[in-house]
Amino acid sequence: MIPGKYRSVSGRAASNVNCGLHLVIQTSSLPEKNKVRFEKVEFRLNKETSSFPGRLLQHDLERNYSSRQGDHINLVSSSMPSFPILQRSSEEKILYSDRLTLERQKLTVCPIIDGEEHLRLLNFQHNFITRIQNISNLQRLIFLDLYDNQIEEISGLSTLRSLRVLLLGKNRIKKISNLENLKSLDVLDLHGNQITKIENVNHLCDLRVLNLARNLLSHVDNLNGLDSLTELNLRHNQITFVRDVDNLPCLQRLFLSFNNISTFESVCCLADSTSLSDITFDGNPIAQESWYKHTILQNMMQLRQLDMKRITEEERRMASVVAKKEEEKKRESHKQSLLKEKKRLIINNVARKWDLQQNRITNIATNQERKDSDSQDNSQNDGGTMSAFPEETGSLDSGLTSALQGLSVTDTHLVEVDGDTLSLYGSGALECLDRNWSVQTAGMVTTVSFTFIEFDEIVQVLPKLKIKFPNSLHLKFKETNLVMLQQFNALAQLRRVDQLTVDPQGNPVVNFTLWKYYVLFRLSHFSMQKINGTEVTQNDMIMAERLFGILAHVASSELPQYRLISILGDARKKQFRYLLETKGKKPGIVNEENNDSKRLVGENTNRATLNYTTRDFYNEKLEEIKEKKKFCKTYIEDLVKEATEINMKNEALQKLWPQMFIELVRDAVIEIRNKNSYMKICLQQITDQK
Amino acid sequence: MLSPERLALPDYEYLAQRHVLTYMEDAVCQLLENKEDISQYGIARFFTEYFNSVCQGTHILFREFSFIQATPHNRASFLRAFWRCFRTVGKNGDLLTMREYHCLLQLLCPDFPLELTQKAARIVLMDDAMDCLMSFSDFLLAFQIQFYYSEFLESVAAIYQDLLSGKNPNTVIVPTSSSGQHRQRPALGEASTLEGVEASLFCQCLENLCDRHKYSCPPPALVKEALSDVQRLTFCGFLVALSKHNGINQALGALPDKGDLMHDPAMDAELERLVVRSRLHRTSRQHRAEEPGAFGFQRRDKPEAPETVPSASAPTPCLYRWEPRE
Repeated sequence: MIPGKYRSVSGRAASNVNCGLHLVIQTSSLPEKNKVRFEKVEFRLNKETSSFPGRLLQHDLERNYSSRQGDHINLVSSSMPSFPILQRSSEEKILYSDRLTLERQKLTVCPIIDGEEHLRLLNFQHNFITRIQNISNLQRLIFLDLYDNQIEEISGLSTLRSLRVLLLGKNRIKKISNLENLKSLDVLDLHGNQITKIENVNHLCDLRVLNLARNLLSHVDNLNGLDSLTELNLRHNQITFVRDVDNLPCLQRLFLSFNNISTFESVCCLADSTSLSDITFDGNPIAQESWYKHTILQNMMQLRQLDMKRITEEERRMASVVAKKEEEKKRESHKQSLLKEKKRLIINNVARKWDLQQNRITNIATNQERKDSDSQDNSQNDGGTMSAFPEETGSLDSGLTSALQGLSVTDTHLVEVDGDTLSLYGSGALECLDRNWSVQTAGMVTTVSFTFIEFDEIVQVLPKLKIKFPNSLHLKFKETNLVMLQQFNALAQLRRVDQLTVDPQGNPVVNFTLWKYYVLFRLSHFSMQKINGTEVTQNDMIMAERLFGILAHVASSELPQYRLISILGDARKKQFRYLLETKGKKPGIVNEENNDSKRLVGENTNRATLNYTTRDFYNEKLEEIKEKKKFCKTYIEDLVKEATEINMKNEALQKLWPQMFIELVRDAVIEIRNKNSYMKICLQQITDQK
Repeated sequence: MLSPERLALPDYEYLAQRHVLTYMEDAVCQLLENKEDISQYGIARFFTEYFNSVCQGTHILFREFSFIQATPHNRASFLRAFWRCFRTVGKNGDLLTMREYHCLLQLLCPDFPLELTQKAARIVLMDDAMDCLMSFSDFLLAFQIQFYYSEFLESVAAIYQDLLSGKNPNTVIVPTSSSGQHRQRPALGEASTLEGVEASLFCQCLENLCDRHKYSCPPPALVKEALSDVQRLTFCGFLVALSKHNGINQALGALPDKGDLMHDPAMDAELERLVVRSRLHRTSRQHRAEEPGAFGFQRRDKPEAPETVPSASAPTPCLYRWEPRE
């Protein structure tokens, strides 16, 4: 919506197109010498595309302005070769005592004006004047028009203390200067110049209209002090940002059309200006934006017209609605990015802690990592992402909703559920399996990813995983210290695994040539589809069988019965123990356990003896056995001692026996020698017994 | 076995020499650990099974390292078990690193120490490039020597160091000690980088060691034979010679000859049966997999049902027969 008068600016060569200022001065007949009294001064902005409205005194406009040329004026060359001297006929002087028009006089310099000290209006339009000179004596001057000249510098005005209107449009002025004494200035028109900076106007506290259109301004500031400024025209510049406008208490109209404003932030001071009612932004990049209208309306509630159109209530309402939505969206994305950032920080933290644990870096852990969290919070977004963070004290941004309890970079683990993937970082994350997960969420999880957690610790929670996330089919391990093939035995206790991904980073076991075959062999009852992204073929399975089949055969058929029982019994005992610990003897769970054990039987049983006990458990067990071993040793020693004693006695007996036997026989024979006395002795013995 | 010398020993020593006590202690220990399970079917049967397995050499499966190392018989059984279980790996032609072999060892013995495996690898690789690949037979033979005679080898290493540094443990009998010294120092005429010690002297020391050593050591005659055709040898060379000597292998009795290391027809037959069974098993599973399950999750509830289908050929080792076995 470009005002018509600007559209065809190029067409009219010597047109008097300008800001259309209509000056009306109603004066008394003669100004008094001491006081310049103005009863009424009014300014009207003329926005019509009509012909030249004139910046003339209305009184005389129609009557006298028939010809553009200043008539009745004689320019007489003076003694000084450069400056002509102006003379008017005396009747002219009396008729138009306070105004002088020297339009289109082909003047190149300001003539010396003699004897016109009452002059209040001076018009030099459409000349070729390069310097303002020779008017210092016109100290009553109120209105000075130098439109369309070739003035390069504002000067020569220091004595015109009464000047109220200064029109310097369409010149070649590069800098605003030398206006110090013009404290009564009401209208300052500097349009169509080459001004790059607003300066030296701060003292103009009566200035009501400032026109700086069609200059080379790149920014707007330094406007303080213009306490009466009502209209500021900055059209057709190169303005990118606007400042200080909120320091203008009376500013009502601000025209910023055809500049280079692209964001609202660059003009944000406008929002603080309570007086603004009319503003234009057309022709700026900002006006092309989708959010332009409602942002302006939302931020500048005081506006009545935007781009020359009245703002309706409907528009305002729409603007606020849209603005609210934008706010919401921004908040959402802000929250999201905060969440992401926090996640990233936590993961970095966990990684660092893991590296320390693995003695890969030599820094001493700072006490940043000391803080541990107690409970975990559940927050659900409508985006389907659920993140759980430990509760922290304090919050980072008070604008965030309570769902995000606050950020802290000292977290030691991270649990994240994203649709179908449960990701656990750091060993503390394993505790999350103890929480109550909603059936729906837990049912959706098909992939579980472990990072920065020791595999031995994961093994211990696998039973819980089996129960809480029954649909987990894909396991991913990264930086979990998988070093032995044996560790894969532990995965056999799960219900089913379709896919297994073991990231080479942090898992040395992947460097082994045979690891995949071993996994396929040991977990053959799962019929895995993919390992580390590659499909499992029939040949792979057969190869796995070939390589390790004998191991299974040996492990099952050649173990003595009691070993089988004890090994299998251990595994089942562990599972059962866990169930008892967590759920108590609920009948449902017991049934499940039975099912599990049946399934355990059902799996490739010749592999079932290939178990994995974590190093700690193993050492524990060995420790426990030590006592028993000691006991056994002493027991056996005792037995051996007994046996050797008996053996010794036996051998001694063997040695002595012949002799003893002979003695026995001899004693017996001696006894029976005398039959009669022997019979008597025997009978005696019998009676003694009774 | 039925030599009169055995009667000359006092009882306890006799038992100890035959390691009877070790097995007795271990049996009682096992009994204590598993008393609930074993009491089901009787202690007599337990002891029967235990000593049967000792005879067969299966008692060391999945046992802790301290037990495996306890007696020569255990060590030999362990070597044999390792050979039987992982012969297929060797047959497949895979060359593995030391760590991977160690992994395989750990499958049978969870706490097997790494140092032994490293020493065995060093015998094969002759230097410290510990990440080199080794073939199964090389590793196994070297490992056998290292594991079975580990204490003996430690003493030998000490002797070797002594000899290298010029001290002869047998100098006491040689009057012309200076000439003895001369003999041990590297020959002057040759380059100064002559390695090792003189073979004959070395052998002599070994013989003396074998006489007084209470741990098992290889038959001295065979050792001499192994070193007969070398003048000088290094410790590594000595170990390599030991490991490659067939006679010593046979004397040990755990493994077949090197040429036959990959052969085990009985096991191969068994393996074929297993492979066939698993193939049948898998195809039948895949057929079942194509049927959509109840919730789109296939075969969720009864993944193991096909297991009950008896396989045609294999005499399935039935593991869970609790009733007394004849």
